[in-house]
Amino acid sequence: MMLVVAGVWSIYELTTVGTSVQRMLDDNYKSINAGRTMIEALEREDSAVLLLLSGNWEQGRSILGSADSLFQKGFTIAQQNVTIPGEPGFVDEIRSRYDVYRGSWKEPIVGTSKEGNLNWYFQQVHQAFLDVRLSVEELIALNDQTMYLTASDLKNKAHRAIVPGIVAILAGLAFTIIFNFFINYYIVSPIIKTTAAIHKFVETGEPFNVQVETNDELFQLVSSIQRLVPQKRASEPPK
Amino acid sequence: MRAHVILRYVGLVLLFDALFLLISCLISGFHSDSAFFPLLYTTLISTLFGVFPLIFVPPTTSITNQEGFTIVILSWLLSCLVGLLPYIMWGGEFTLTSAWFESVSGFTTTGSSILTNVEALPLGLLFWRSATHWIGGIGIIIFVLSVLPHMGKPAMILYRTEMSSLAVDNFHYRSQKTIQILAIIYVGLTLVETISLLLCGMNLFDATTHSFATIATGGFSPKNLSIGYYRSTSIEIVIMVFMILSGINFGLLFAAVSGNISEIWKSSIVRYYLFALAAGIILVTLKAHGNLFQSWTDALRYSAFQIISVGTSTGFATADTSIWPPFAQLVMIYLTLQCACAGSTSGGIKADRIVLFWKTMTKRIKKMQHPAAVIKVKIDTLVVDDDVVEVNILYISFYVGIVFLSTILLTALGVDILSAFSGSAATMGNVGPGFGMVGSMGNYSQIPDIGKWILSATMLLGRLEIFGLILFLAAKSWK
Repeated sequence: MMLVVAGVWSIYELTTVGTSVQRMLDDNYKSINAGRTMIEALEREDSAVLLLLSGNWEQGRSILGSADSLFQKGFTIAQQNVTIPGEPGFVDEIRSRYDVYRGSWKEPIVGTSKEGNLNWYFQQVHQAFLDVRLSVEELIALNDQTMYLTASDLKNKAHRAIVPGIVAILAGLAFTIIFNFFINYYIVSPIIKTTAAIHKFVETGEPFNVQVETNDELFQLVSSIQRLVPQKRASEPPK
Repeated sequence: MRAHVILRYVGLVLLFDALFLLISCLISGFHSDSAFFPLLYTTLISTLFGVFPLIFVPPTTSITNQEGFTIVILSWLLSCLVGLLPYIMWGGEFTLTSAWFESVSGFTTTGSSILTNVEALPLGLLFWRSATHWIGGIGIIIFVLSVLPHMGKPAMILYRTEMSSLAVDNFHYRSQKTIQILAIIYVGLTLVETISLLLCGMNLFDATTHSFATIATGGFSPKNLSIGYYRSTSIEIVIMVFMILSGINFGLLFAAVSGNISEIWKSSIVRYYLFALAAGIILVTLKAHGNLFQSWTDALRYSAFQIISVGTSTGFATADTSIWPPFAQLVMIYLTLQCACAGSTSGGIKADRIVLFWKTMTKRIKKMQHPAAVIKVKIDTLVVDDDVVEVNILYISFYVGIVFLSTILLTALGVDILSAFSGSAATMGNVGPGFGMVGSMGNYSQIPDIGKWILSATMLLGRLEIFGLILFLAAKSWK
């Protein structure tokens, strides 16, 4: 019974370990990867803005276009993978901050007063870039933290899957020892004593004197022998 | 010594443990928490080992004193062993050593914990943790005897073996009556405190677990900040009242409930116990005012709670006494060593022995002044035998000796002197919190593993009043 419960429990815990690992990969790891993609895209966009500032329109706009679609791809994954309490807030914040950042470089730069204007870059574009990046890092940190908690939980689940088995083995051993003790004390030992007493009675005529503590078949057997012995003695011819 | 008879009685105790495990398991199941399987599994193991000897071994009409001692000691040790199973199977902060420490601390009503975050435990496990206090409070065996039908002579031997020798003499009833009185007072106090705490705004779970810990003078709280979590004067007052009551001899409480309230005040031991608490509160309040608390009300409120908590060996906290002035800490260390009255759930040397010790000292001084005089040591109207006086002095010497030995061993393991000494005194007296890193708002998690085993041994020595465990360990020399 103990082994069955330990087995069922271990299976249950191991199944939940599998589920937790899958959940960790699906929920957290996917969001962390999406976050990293967004940061990669943001950094490319930042470099592209610097190219535009230096008057390199074609290369700058090309990088901005591909980085923007990369960012949107990462953002879409993060948006569709909201699984942790508080995560929607972070996603909304990324959306709104990215809109501000995107707005700062969407308008033409090359050939305008913004070209070569480092003050404008540092005060508006770079600050907006840092804000979005911070929001994305916060989203990654939240998922990292949850992944750590899930991993700790996995450690506990693995522990819970192993320990009942160990306890069952130790309890089984203790139970076997006690069981053997009782079997020996209440069954084996009285049978040996009864057999020895019968042998002694037959061989030397020593009185049959065996005490049985229990009120079971063994007790009835010994009582019967005790009743039988005087009858046997009475039936024997005097020597 | 008949092993099968011992197994039968120990089995009864395990069945009793299984009952509380089952309740904890049901609570866990009701809340669908992660402790359900560990508790269910332990319930099964405890039931199996409890029922099995009952099936095989027929009831016995008598047991020897040696068997009685062995049954009592094994019941405690096996209960602690069964008690650690839910912890270790649940995992979290629990290792084998820390689970054993927590279990021994629960059953011996010490209340020292290794947990850095108690609130992380599921409700079922928190209930079991408090239940170990309640089971161990008046003594595992006595609790079992109180719920079982009359067991005759074995009951008397087990009762006399488990009860403090001083308490046995204090109760003027036959064994069975005394056991009933203990159970009635114990359950009654728990019920009344639970209702009082509910009226103060606590929820049912917290009220029950805190009542278990108060009446057993244990100290486990399901909150990290202990009673300080509630920030409620009414809750603190209720708990203080019940801590004081739980430190009084239950026989006297029974007499008071039966209409003889004056019985309590007639007892010089109770008078001394209350005086010691009052003196402690006044001294610490005077010291705390200005240094720790700006208002007299706050100084009195926090000092009173901490002094009563330590002086009754409960160990609840509303303040961090580790940062209190050294004088206040010394007053509390004295109370940690002394604790409350024999015949209660309290631990420590006990007020009875301190009173007897001072009376013996007085007698010795008088004897030096008047060498020819015949002077007897008396407590109230009773003349105390020289044998009892000798055992008393021996007990106090042993007690202090063990505290010092434990302190030396802990300091050898690298624990600082304040934490080592106060921790040893607090575990030996089944008080719980000490000072330094094992303070009222701290825990024993920083103590090295070997130190935790040493402190677990001191808890058991304190709970079994030293001689019980020594006699068990010296079982071979019994004639």
